[in-house]
Amino acid sequence: MNALLGQNAVLLGLLAAIAGVVTIGFGLRRGQDNLLRAGRTYAWLILASAVVAVAAMERALVTHDFSLSYVAQNGGRQVPLMFTVSTLWGALAGSILLWTLVLTLYTIAVVVKFRRRAADPLVAWATLVMFAVNVFFFALMLGPANPFTKVAGVVPLNGPGPNPLLQDHPLMVVHPPMLYAGYVGFTVPFAFAVAALVTGRVGEGWLIETRRWTLLAWGFLSIGIVLGAWWSYEVLGWGGFWSWDPVENASFLPWLCGTAFIHSVMVQERRGMLRVWNLSLVLATFSLTILGTFLTRSGVIDSVHAFTQSAIGPWILSFFFVVVAVSIGLIGWRGDRLRSPGAIDSPISREGAFLANNLLFAGFAFVVLLGTVFPLLVEAINGNKLTIGGPYFNQMTEPLVLCLLFLMAVAPALPWRKASPELLRRRLLVPAWAAGITLVVSVALGLRGGLDTLAAFTLGAFAAAAAVRQLVLATRRSLADGAGPWRGIVGRANGGMIVHLGIVVIAVAFAASQAYGHRTETPMTPGHSVRVAGHTVTFLRLETVRHPNRTSLVADLQLDGGRVFRPQISNYMADPGGGIGTPSVKSSLVDDVYLTIAAAPQNPGDPTVIGVTVQPLIIWLWAGGALVAVGTLLAMLPGRRRRPVLPASAPAHEVAAGGPGAGRGRIRPERVPAGTSVAIEVPGT
Amino acid sequence: MRGRRRRTALYSAAAIGLVAAAFIGVLATRPSAADQQARSPLLGQPAPAIVGSSITDGAPFNLAALRGRYVLVNFFASWCIPCQQEQPQLVRFANEPGGHNAVVAVLFSDTPGPARAFLRSNGGNWPALADPDGVVALDYGVRGPPESYLLNPDGVVLAKFIGEVTADRLDQLVALASRGA
Repeated sequence: MNALLGQNAVLLGLLAAIAGVVTIGFGLRRGQDNLLRAGRTYAWLILASAVVAVAAMERALVTHDFSLSYVAQNGGRQVPLMFTVSTLWGALAGSILLWTLVLTLYTIAVVVKFRRRAADPLVAWATLVMFAVNVFFFALMLGPANPFTKVAGVVPLNGPGPNPLLQDHPLMVVHPPMLYAGYVGFTVPFAFAVAALVTGRVGEGWLIETRRWTLLAWGFLSIGIVLGAWWSYEVLGWGGFWSWDPVENASFLPWLCGTAFIHSVMVQERRGMLRVWNLSLVLATFSLTILGTFLTRSGVIDSVHAFTQSAIGPWILSFFFVVVAVSIGLIGWRGDRLRSPGAIDSPISREGAFLANNLLFAGFAFVVLLGTVFPLLVEAINGNKLTIGGPYFNQMTEPLVLCLLFLMAVAPALPWRKASPELLRRRLLVPAWAAGITLVVSVALGLRGGLDTLAAFTLGAFAAAAAVRQLVLATRRSLADGAGPWRGIVGRANGGMIVHLGIVVIAVAFAASQAYGHRTETPMTPGHSVRVAGHTVTFLRLETVRHPNRTSLVADLQLDGGRVFRPQISNYMADPGGGIGTPSVKSSLVDDVYLTIAAAPQNPGDPTVIGVTVQPLIIWLWAGGALVAVGTLLAMLPGRRRRPVLPASAPAHEVAAGGPGAGRGRIRPERVPAGTSVAIEVPGT
Repeated sequence: MRGRRRRTALYSAAAIGLVAAAFIGVLATRPSAADQQARSPLLGQPAPAIVGSSITDGAPFNLAALRGRYVLVNFFASWCIPCQQEQPQLVRFANEPGGHNAVVAVLFSDTPGPARAFLRSNGGNWPALADPDGVVALDYGVRGPPESYLLNPDGVVLAKFIGEVTADRLDQLVALASRGA
């Protein structure tokens, strides 16, 4: 019943998506608006298909319908309800199903948002691209990643449950959906970028349409990445939160590319420059989400936590090939016609800073991509195998991060066009003082750690002070306008500053935790105490606790004579061989004490090896992530007088011919709604 | 400037297209780690030497001393989840009746403390060698744990495994090799 329902829903979804592509394609070819309007209705059908398919799978999981092989392999009666529900994304076929659901939600959101402009070729092409992506994912579920295949032979009475690591922590319930909402969200700007290139409407129109969509996807991806780091910290038991694993890099690459885009897009909006570059960034961001999926799902790279490997590699690689071919083909075909009319007047300007930012982010993405695929490339060239570990990534990315922190401090103070030394001196005075004081205080306190840690703290203070200064000025101005203080924190510029603060907090916490962590492993017996980095850990007792889905060995550890913490090692039904350690963490604003059972006693009476890791400022990593999320949300709210009304983009030939307003450095009229004042809006002037 | 049509975007796109095509070509021809047995230049060659002292009991160890038995050289790390899952299979292989199998573990990006704890809690009383500079891993061409190499009684590499091994698969290979010998 569940299988039948799900299977048919997927089939219906595939047919509806194909019908959508065909209808809109015909409509565009023949110029029939009624077909374009009709095509959109298929979006409702694919949404319904995805919802029914997900509901069928959830029903099968919750009712323990072990006739479905996905449920038989990943479900189990002993698994708590929360993790039974999240088993949907605990293995490959189910996560493709979730991916598709999110994709259909974005598709319907686009269709509804642009319902009045369905006949506009730009919107029609974008919808067509979204449908085409839907076709691929629905097809995947009928092909190699079918979540609804039935068990061959006897239906089992119970299943092993999901991978033990995936039923250990509530974060696993929210982290993958967030990540997918981010990944999949980049389909929208991708679709509009392709539409802009195909229709030749290469002005700023597509960009303004997709600005909030990109921010939304970027925000989800940021939250997903931070939650992933938090999950690995709380669950994996090695005390770290980021290890440059291919799976992590796969989510980080589109983030870097997307971050570059949301900065450089402002240059295009203001000055009409960097058009080809921006389109390329959008296309690259989407391509990287697909490449990341391939790398982590096909098994070409061995990853510590690629939980869901399978035979879908060739499919995803083919899709990646199509995406890249279409992207590069379109850029090659249209690129030279959408050459930007302006030029950067001075490197010491806002646009110059954004350009530097983009070079750094592009370099960052290249470094991470190279590190991730280098072993594959070397093996392909000379057959040698080699390993690239954390040290490569840390060494290569550290200077990039420091440069980015510096830019974060300076860029918001720079005006568009050209900066005068006098202006810079005035605007950077406060941030420079903050940086100087931080440096002096750090040195005076005798902080150990290398120059790099000191540089991270100093530049972090510099950037944070710059962001706070912008926010204070914006709030003050908004109060003076009588608009109330909250106006000072909404809108892209102000929300962006809050995101900057979040990133600074993460960078500083990262640097501190790397430089000042302590880690020990001590064999302990009841009554025994150990002292690590100012904390006393007393071993009270060891006991065995039985749960429905696991048996756990629990150590009671008293921290600093107060609360008792209980790290454990559990044996799950799914995995009778290996024990899964669960750390117990005491977090405070200053430091985290991370307690694990490093080794259980072999014989009764033997000591238990207890791992104690003390790292400073860990909690600020997650707080920084929350700040990034809040800032992104505020940035999406409309700020001061920024309500672009239907900007009809200029056709390509007009731009190439130096059309109206294409003059050097002028504000392009197509961007500016009638009656809007176009005062250059620089906070702090 | 405007008179001469510039083709920067076209040429850059063409160049990037070539690189991307080559890259996709490489990806398309990579063997998937899902099919476990992997190609290696070491296959059919004498296994690189491993000499040192075991981290478990400090006893001196030399791979050459294990000639006459089928040896599984297993690269592992305490932080590696698949290694934990694989360990019981290794225990089964090592304890097979007849005593013609042996297992040697080499630490990969790991330190003796956690590795000792790993062996204590997951089983495995075979020699385990620290490889602090990764020299042994480099000799064998190990990319990431777990990876294992099966050597025949003459010390020649029979097979390379990327990812988890199963005792059944090892037994099959041993049976195949013994028949051939």
